[in-house]
Amino acid sequence: MSGLPSDDLVEDYRVSLEDLTTNDRFQINNLTVIARENTEHAMAISRELENHIKKTPPQQKLPALYVVDSIVKNVGTPYTLFLGRNMYQTFMNAYTLVDGPTRRKLDEMLKTWKEPVPGSLDTRPVFPPEVTRNIESALIKARTAALERDRTVNRGRTGGTPTGWKNSPIPPQAMPHPPPQHPYGGRASNTSVCSARDPRLALHAPSVLSNREFMRQTPPQGNSPNMTLESLHRDLNALVEGARAAFARSPFDISCQQRLQALLDLQRILQQQQLPPDQLRIVQDQVSSLAATQPGPAPAPIAQNSVPSAPVATPPVPVSTPPTQPTPQSFQSLFNPGTLADLIKATANPQQPTPPPQIPNPLTQMPPMPPMPPASGTPQPAENPLIQALRMHGLLPSASAPPAMMSAGGTPRAGPLPFLMPGQPHSTPPAPTPQLASASTVPMNTASMKIPRIALVASLYEAKPNRCGTCGLRFLATAEGREKKARHLDWHFKTNQRMVDASKRAQNRSWYVDERDWIKSREAGDDTGPTDTQATIEGETGVPGDPAKQGPPKAWIRAPNDAKLRNTPCPICQEMFESTWSEDVQDWIWQDAIQVAARVYHASCYAEVTRDGPAPRSSTPQARTGTPDSVLGKRKAEGNDSPGNTTRVKMEPM
Amino acid sequence: MSLPGLELAQPSEERQHSAAPPSQITLKPGSEWRFEVAFGHSIKVRLLTGTAELFGTELAELQTYTFCGTKAAIYTWHGCELEVSAGETNTATLDGVTPTAGHGAGGCQSEYVAEETPMVEYANAHFALETIRQEAHGSGKDGPRVLLLGPEDAGKTSLAKILTAYATKSGRQPIVVNLDPTEGMLSVPGTITATAFRTMLNIEEGWGSSPMSGPSPVPVKLPLVYGYPHPSPLDANGSVYRPLVSRLAVSVTGRMAEDEDSRETGIIVDTPGILSSGKPGTTELINHIVTEFAITTIIVLGSERLYSNMVKQYDNKPSASASADVFDERVSVLKLSKSGGCVDRDPSYLKTAREYQIKSYFFGTSIYSPSPFAVTLSPHTSQLDFAGLSVYNYTVTSEEDEDEDEYDPSQLGMDSFGEETKPTESDRPAPLPGIVGLSVNPPTSSADNTPFSNVPLKKVLPPAPTALTNTLLAITHAPTTATPAQVRDASVIGFLYVASVEPEKGKIHVLAPVGGRVPQRAMIWAKRWPDEVIGLVN
Repeated sequence: MSGLPSDDLVEDYRVSLEDLTTNDRFQINNLTVIARENTEHAMAISRELENHIKKTPPQQKLPALYVVDSIVKNVGTPYTLFLGRNMYQTFMNAYTLVDGPTRRKLDEMLKTWKEPVPGSLDTRPVFPPEVTRNIESALIKARTAALERDRTVNRGRTGGTPTGWKNSPIPPQAMPHPPPQHPYGGRASNTSVCSARDPRLALHAPSVLSNREFMRQTPPQGNSPNMTLESLHRDLNALVEGARAAFARSPFDISCQQRLQALLDLQRILQQQQLPPDQLRIVQDQVSSLAATQPGPAPAPIAQNSVPSAPVATPPVPVSTPPTQPTPQSFQSLFNPGTLADLIKATANPQQPTPPPQIPNPLTQMPPMPPMPPASGTPQPAENPLIQALRMHGLLPSASAPPAMMSAGGTPRAGPLPFLMPGQPHSTPPAPTPQLASASTVPMNTASMKIPRIALVASLYEAKPNRCGTCGLRFLATAEGREKKARHLDWHFKTNQRMVDASKRAQNRSWYVDERDWIKSREAGDDTGPTDTQATIEGETGVPGDPAKQGPPKAWIRAPNDAKLRNTPCPICQEMFESTWSEDVQDWIWQDAIQVAARVYHASCYAEVTRDGPAPRSSTPQARTGTPDSVLGKRKAEGNDSPGNTTRVKMEPM
Repeated sequence: MSLPGLELAQPSEERQHSAAPPSQITLKPGSEWRFEVAFGHSIKVRLLTGTAELFGTELAELQTYTFCGTKAAIYTWHGCELEVSAGETNTATLDGVTPTAGHGAGGCQSEYVAEETPMVEYANAHFALETIRQEAHGSGKDGPRVLLLGPEDAGKTSLAKILTAYATKSGRQPIVVNLDPTEGMLSVPGTITATAFRTMLNIEEGWGSSPMSGPSPVPVKLPLVYGYPHPSPLDANGSVYRPLVSRLAVSVTGRMAEDEDSRETGIIVDTPGILSSGKPGTTELINHIVTEFAITTIIVLGSERLYSNMVKQYDNKPSASASADVFDERVSVLKLSKSGGCVDRDPSYLKTAREYQIKSYFFGTSIYSPSPFAVTLSPHTSQLDFAGLSVYNYTVTSEEDEDEDEYDPSQLGMDSFGEETKPTESDRPAPLPGIVGLSVNPPTSSADNTPFSNVPLKKVLPPAPTALTNTLLAITHAPTTATPAQVRDASVIGFLYVASVEPEKGKIHVLAPVGGRVPQRAMIWAKRWPDEVIGLVN
């Protein structure tokens, strides 16, 4: 491409693209403007974009794809033409490497590509349908495969807890064939691979163009799972070739050795062992991401799934254009946390519960390897040897690094006492030197804060010796204190009871109150009996025993969860109960209902019936064995002989 | 399988992994046991003998407390023996993150006994406050209003907990105000809250829990919540933060006027560390808080410079209270030592903590804690018509990052790129010809001049932006027809989590804490803060 007028422009464009590390609208717009003003170089720019998307680390792929999005929507042709050609490879390559949330964003973007540009008069979609269709069908296939896989995994586990695998330190499928020892024996130190920055290698990078050209000829055809293994082998071959070439060029570069060795190990593991498809896929992802950063001849591996014969053997063509300078990214950034966690999870999940743990780890059988990092008593779940292998060779960050990356909560500690401050003599906890703090008045100033007043601490402890065994609350040893404690224990008892009740039905967070209610509200203590906020909110009128407390017009109960009870009509009127949503209670309730013993009646029915009967006993209603059959209105049951047979009961919810 | 040795190997493996014997830790009087437990791992702690307290809240003897995702310290005044063992690892770790068990007792990431603690000072601060409260009881004067200042990770919130716990233990009822939007108190991050504490704090869960439909083993606390969906009070030059603080102060003052217990006990105000960073604008914000809450006691933790500034500015000056003259109420400024146990919480820990705070708002604490006292809540999903909602978004950019202008493919072509292609009707007034130089003022500075009349809240019009996905919507108490200023100042009813957006159908799928119809009120989109939580649904 040298000598072409677009050379400088393309170079500039590439630099600008490399600066684009976040989703920055300003930069994206800028890049779009440049693209629009230079449509005569659209082809070069498009190629640069594709190239950049391919090489940039996963977390920077989205912004780059947004540039594409912005250009095709705002500029349109000829970019849609140039970018559309390789869109399948570009998109799928990026899609496989990014994490879940980014994938969702990509999905959304893809959706917009099937529609016309918003606000445009042109009704044609952003990209021609055949471009998007291919991508979509591939995604759908991948998703179905993932679903399928999940199902098999779930079946295999049969309800076993996900923790199960933690006890199986070594994945069974990796066990039986320890990879044979290997000739190069790079004495790997833990230095990270730095070949990517080796300037000598950079000169031999293949022409971007040649990559693209072969990519263009590959018709996208979904990733059939069967293809995966084959293509993976091919990708790996390509990588190995590349690494070999690099090794040949600089035989003394330790990092090259390590890389090559790791790849060969990986290849061997793959050839000799039957890995489940999902693991394969993950390995493949990793391989392709390695390839994406590899400076040597390793053309976009992911998209090659269907290439009949990958042109990996093509010798590197020296190009006059200085190739893109390798982005100085660490492998940590390459394996973003999500991917790594996925990888570890996925390789760990499908294991059978009883692996043969006595078989030694294959890795330990590789003599030239440095010894495994000592277990150091940490009950850390062992990893897939594959990952370990990658890690050993510096292709994955060393095992000490992941906690910080994988688990957000992980804070690796340097030593046991890292944050101890140098001595603060006066704040040394007081030896029993009870100072006479004058009648418990403590002046509010800095100097006074330093004086130990252990006697006052007693006001928090010894002054209230009567403790609640459940929560540790303290009470005075006086009669009043004892009474308070009794009420407090009562509260515990009732709360526990309610918790047992509550565990049977779903609970939820309540809405917050507004300012006025908050100002008016008074905090309920735990010593004031159960009349706290929860109780009022709960309004458990349905609890047997206290229905009498509620006046009949207001009677309601929570709609019972028990299906049988729910489908039982009111024994008096034989009408079904109607569930209504109550804003106050925030639950489904039955209006005008009352629970007596094990039955639910319409409160009005019940009131009518019991009015004629023994009224004073209504608070302790007798559970009639015979249903007070309905004589009331609508449903005329034959042969009824119940009381109050002329009354008509109002049944509408109140 | 009958491979020789297989059956033998398995149990030994098990033993090695799970059945680590509980460790016993003996604490001398006045020392504390500091521990850190990662999220996804848990430890169980029992007090065997003696007395012990966690941030001022006393542990009951022989009760098992479960800690998960915690960095804390158990202090003893009298000496004690603790038993620490590993808890069952929570299988509900959503992210599939391998729980990291540390090397410490029970699998703590770090744990050690420290003999030097500033607890004497902290207790003295409480006793000094008690002294003022006793005076208040007799005289009709208001109780002390305490402002806690200090840089990030200086132990402000821990001190707030200690002072609160000691106050409730002494039968008081402090109103605790959290002005730190990076950490929610009894709510999600991105809020500022006020809560009256009468009952003990929850040892396992920090401040405790806001009300739920069911019972809670530790009495729930009722917060008053205002939405502030920005990470820093300095965002928009404080033009959003300041009025909200004022509003919160009005509510708190109202409560104190009516609630005798709260009046006597006073207020404890916890602040974000950035206020103590000395950045431009922070002094004004501190002054605003001191004035609005009529602060009487300023406690500075871990910053000599800030302490000296505060002394210069406030010490022995009359408080801003209306009755300051009557009672000769003066501000005192104290300096307390930062605890050596304060650890710098790295961004990833804080992010996870925020995430769990949001998750437990909807699902209860059992989502991350295997504690038998953890509560399981069942939120409800529903589909809302976006056009029927009145959603507001803050149009301010952050102090630190300018990523407000994110590229959104679904919005493209309409406006995001419009500036270049066609002159858009932006809300910026078009510069008059000739006097271009005068109207170059960026909109922020104009907002600065009139911070109260120009509320940077804009209604989000359909179509529903896809960026809503994974963010929270704060439902305010303001009616849908309210003005932006009313929406900003309204307290929050609750939060919705947007699980997905269907722009073409104009629908959004949300997770609501409570079933039934979502209240028809104005909502504030927490677009920038708290950060997205991926995959709360499914």
